[in-house]
Amino acid sequence: MSFLERMDQSIRRSMAWRTLFRQPYPNDERSRAYAVMNNVFLHIHPVRVRQHAVKFAYTFCLGGLSFFLFLVLTITGVYLMFFYVPSATLAYTNILDIQSQVTFGLLTRNIHRWGAHLMVFFVFLHMMRVFYHGAYKPPREFNWVVGVVLLFTTIMLSFTGYLLPWDQIAYWAITIGTNMGGYAPLINTPVNRLLLGGLEVGQNTLLRFYVLHIMFFPLVAAIFLAVHFWRIRKDGGISGPL
Amino acid sequence: MTDTKSPPDRRVVLPVDPTRRTEIDKQRVPMSARPYRLLALVKQDAVVRVQKEPDDTVMTWPHLLSIEFLAAGMMSVFLLLMGLFINAPLEELANSNVTPAVAKAPWYFLGLQELLAYFHPTVAGVLTPLLVLVGAGFIPYIDRGNLTATRPSERKTAVVLFTMFCALGLTLTFVGIFFRGPGYSFVIPYLPFFENSSPGLHFSL
Repeated sequence: MSFLERMDQSIRRSMAWRTLFRQPYPNDERSRAYAVMNNVFLHIHPVRVRQHAVKFAYTFCLGGLSFFLFLVLTITGVYLMFFYVPSATLAYTNILDIQSQVTFGLLTRNIHRWGAHLMVFFVFLHMMRVFYHGAYKPPREFNWVVGVVLLFTTIMLSFTGYLLPWDQIAYWAITIGTNMGGYAPLINTPVNRLLLGGLEVGQNTLLRFYVLHIMFFPLVAAIFLAVHFWRIRKDGGISGPL
Repeated sequence: MTDTKSPPDRRVVLPVDPTRRTEIDKQRVPMSARPYRLLALVKQDAVVRVQKEPDDTVMTWPHLLSIEFLAAGMMSVFLLLMGLFINAPLEELANSNVTPAVAKAPWYFLGLQELLAYFHPTVAGVLTPLLVLVGAGFIPYIDRGNLTATRPSERKTAVVLFTMFCALGLTLTFVGIFFRGPGYSFVIPYLPFFENSSPGLHFSL
């Protein structure tokens, strides 16, 4: 027995390893079932899934990839939060510092930006896939509604994040976007004041968008994601083949 | 199940109180008499016929999880490469006194901004997105014609309407991205022989 094999064995036989994993690497049906059932991250899946559900060309993993992007954005976003102050005088400098001073700051910001665009895109694609499969039909009607809420939340997450760099694109894109809200009949003025926290995009707007971006919409998304996944299981897994 | 009828003279007297003899005891015969044994008596009605359908399921581990792992891995590599080679845009510090030549909303709102060029802001900026969002939420409650139909050929109306809506949204966004220049005027990118040509794209992600 080589050194590595002995090391491997002693690690696997150690108490720490056995309390962590409880059973050996799953090689038969029973242990594979336990592996999915007993793991907090895997147990959103049933132990067995229907054959057509694992065909890549049926779902293209669009929903799963949207969720994966949400996780990537959460992790990169938390990292960026360490170096960002939502202040009209500091925000832009912070972004410059993130790009030039912070370790992996530029890479993290790039991934956060591209991941955000990709997530909006993938949620759109996921919605189209679900429509063309007629997957919103009974008993999945309400899960479609939850999905529409999640689409709205995703767009709002991206939109509120758009202002945070406090550069010219951000400022004017948000000015255009929030001006639209100002044309709502009857409630135009309150809506505009509520969004902007003033008469035009400024410090209050930045703080509002920051809080919405890092706290409010992620929480809304997390709650509705939980409902979305739960209902997939309760409605009998993903929809049947065409 | 075995033959339950046998001549009474062949019955073996068992060391059991005759009043307590069970059905199985009554049927017991020597092995020499019959080369088979009675294992149990099952009434016809008691048999539950289970219609077992062919099992079309597979184990989540490894069949589904491997695909998910692969998809997540490929997405990670893609994001890493994009993050390494393409920098996120960053322009000058925000300045409320300097209106940039081109001010465009994020790409997912460009369809709405394009509508602003044709309709009153209340219609383009408020009523349309509201209608689209609420309408999308109501799709499962409107499409009640054939609730089991999932093939596109069985639900042509729904598929055609949705495709037309998507194509419209895509076209508006496309025009907003490529054919709008300074002051949101109509331009044709890259083609210098047009009168309203623009040297590059006025668009950033």
